[in-house]
Amino acid sequence: MLKCGIDSSQKMIEAQIPVVNKLGLHARAASKLVKLTAGFESSIKFIGKNQEVDAKSIMGILMLAATQGTQIRVIADGSDERDAVDAISEMFEQCFGEDE
Amino acid sequence: MLALHGTGVGAGIAVGRARIINRNSDKISQYTIAQEHVNKEIERLERGIETAQHSLLELGKQFGKEIPDEVRALLEAHSLMLKDPLILQESSRLISEQWVNAEFALNQYGMRLERVFEQIQDPYLSSKSIDVAQVIQRVLGAMTDSQEAIGGQPEGTYDGEIIIVNDLTPADTIELRKHQIIGFVTKLGGPTSHTAILARSMKIPAIVGMHGSVGYLRTGDLLIIDGKRGVILANPDDQALAAYQRRREKIIRRTQALETLRDAESVSLDGQRIMLMSNVELPDEVSYSVKQNAEGVGLYRTEFMFMNREQMPDEEEQLEVYKQVLEKSDCPVTIRTLDLGADKQVDGGRSADHQSTNPALGLRAIRLCLHDLGLFKPQLRAIYRASVFGKARMMVPMISNVEELNQLFKLIDEVKQELAEQKCPFDSTLQVGGMIEVPAAAIAADIFARKLDFLSIGTNDLIQYTLAIDRIDDEVNYLYDPIHPSILRLVKNVIDAGFDAGVPVSMCGEMAGDPAYTRILLALGLREFSMDPARLLEVKQIIRMSDVSQLKMALPKFMNATEPEELRQQLVELNQ
Repeated sequence: MLKCGIDSSQKMIEAQIPVVNKLGLHARAASKLVKLTAGFESSIKFIGKNQEVDAKSIMGILMLAATQGTQIRVIADGSDERDAVDAISEMFEQCFGEDE
Repeated sequence: MLALHGTGVGAGIAVGRARIINRNSDKISQYTIAQEHVNKEIERLERGIETAQHSLLELGKQFGKEIPDEVRALLEAHSLMLKDPLILQESSRLISEQWVNAEFALNQYGMRLERVFEQIQDPYLSSKSIDVAQVIQRVLGAMTDSQEAIGGQPEGTYDGEIIIVNDLTPADTIELRKHQIIGFVTKLGGPTSHTAILARSMKIPAIVGMHGSVGYLRTGDLLIIDGKRGVILANPDDQALAAYQRRREKIIRRTQALETLRDAESVSLDGQRIMLMSNVELPDEVSYSVKQNAEGVGLYRTEFMFMNREQMPDEEEQLEVYKQVLEKSDCPVTIRTLDLGADKQVDGGRSADHQSTNPALGLRAIRLCLHDLGLFKPQLRAIYRASVFGKARMMVPMISNVEELNQLFKLIDEVKQELAEQKCPFDSTLQVGGMIEVPAAAIAADIFARKLDFLSIGTNDLIQYTLAIDRIDDEVNYLYDPIHPSILRLVKNVIDAGFDAGVPVSMCGEMAGDPAYTRILLALGLREFSMDPARLLEVKQIIRMSDVSQLKMALPKFMNATEPEELRQQLVELNQ
């Protein structure tokens, strides 16, 4: 499909979030993320290591193979994009509830 | 509660959940589908994924509150992965672009994911590829009617489980060491099958030769298996469970009592020193052998290095492994040259186009080696080069003809000369021995004894060849009898021939590690035993309670017995 750069690109928001938890984006962390992102209407993308994946897909997130220290670019586009990015960055900051 | 009977192997009792592994093939099949079937193939994949989701849900329900939080979180992750449209999308793309079957497409996608994870430097995260592999495996299992591959399962998949399978191949027995399996049940095989050998070395019980009755068992059943009595109890009542738990604890206590013999000398009541050595396959097992106070390795099998791989290990790789083994042991290590062919097939390297109808009698062991110098010479060179790193001996399997020895010695001279020219250090006095496992060699043992530095009796094959019984064929393995008069005479002949020639004779077959035969072997004059190190203490215990000179006096009566029943009775008396 052709990308229409005029309407959507202007509205979407972007954030750079580092992976701070020791274990990185492993299966359990990824599953928490997916459960969070699924609750938003906006389309959400993660970009890391030159890969762009759907933040609502656990396989996609796992494909990023993001270890501690990796920078993830989050791009959300939709009615609740602001809330989505805030919630995601909060989850990253809190290390997915893992005991560190 | 259901009670089933088979042939018990290995010590002890195991209590755990059953896991049935059905497999027609260990590999994912690949075939091309017609273009008009692409949609049908994608539907099949969808159904497979649905079935896998369903089975995961069932698993969660079945164990309910028993599941620890950690595991529950992972189950949840697996379930999310199965719901992820990416699996279907990516695999479907392969199906529609390349017209391949769904299993192959899914497996390709799984392998791609695994490669991504393998590249990760972080050991924790890269180990997480297991999750993806398990999910893919689950779908494959669902699509091929729970046709699971034994090999290639991630480490720990079968932890704490009792594995139920038709039969194990030697290659499986290596793979399965990665799991903390607590017992085996097989449909086929006898007490000397690969399953039995594996169970003994893992110090877990197994029930083999169950035939059709394995059909009564289901994955997830709670099983008690009693290796000594050959009994399986499925879904036992509380009373049976409690009784077996008590017996299990008793066995554990007995094993602990045996441990006190670890540092005791291996000497008979009348002061005869008996040498106890171990059989090993993997370099790691040498450490266990040393721990058991074995006086060396009487049989180090090298073929396992050649299995489960595409390419043969070259001289350097072999050298590294032999060196490792030798450096772990202060005592002599007997390296057996390749014993490939027959029931031990290489995966890669050798062509499989020549199918012998009778592989046990075909081109195997030393025959194969002398036939294929490209295979054999690097091994000889590696063994000689390794010989400077410890006390090595070299042993050649399956000799049957003096001409083979002549060829071998010529080859050894060549290797030594080459190494000397290349200024590679080696032990020029390395002892070369032969395995006596073909009846021809046992009968003419005097001839072989004069040409070799030592002899080692391989009873598994010797019995199989002498009695004309395929030990893997469970329809005839009831005829497998280590105290058949022919076997006793052959063993005696080899021991006597060694004695006359002044050449040491050891025994490295299963018989040497079976406490039931320790005394008859002592009576026959055997002074060197090599066995699975797990059995060493038990045999030592019997040696320490035996009077060899008295056993010798009982021998004529034993050798003159003709009726099988009489022989068994004699054995019982000897062991009292």
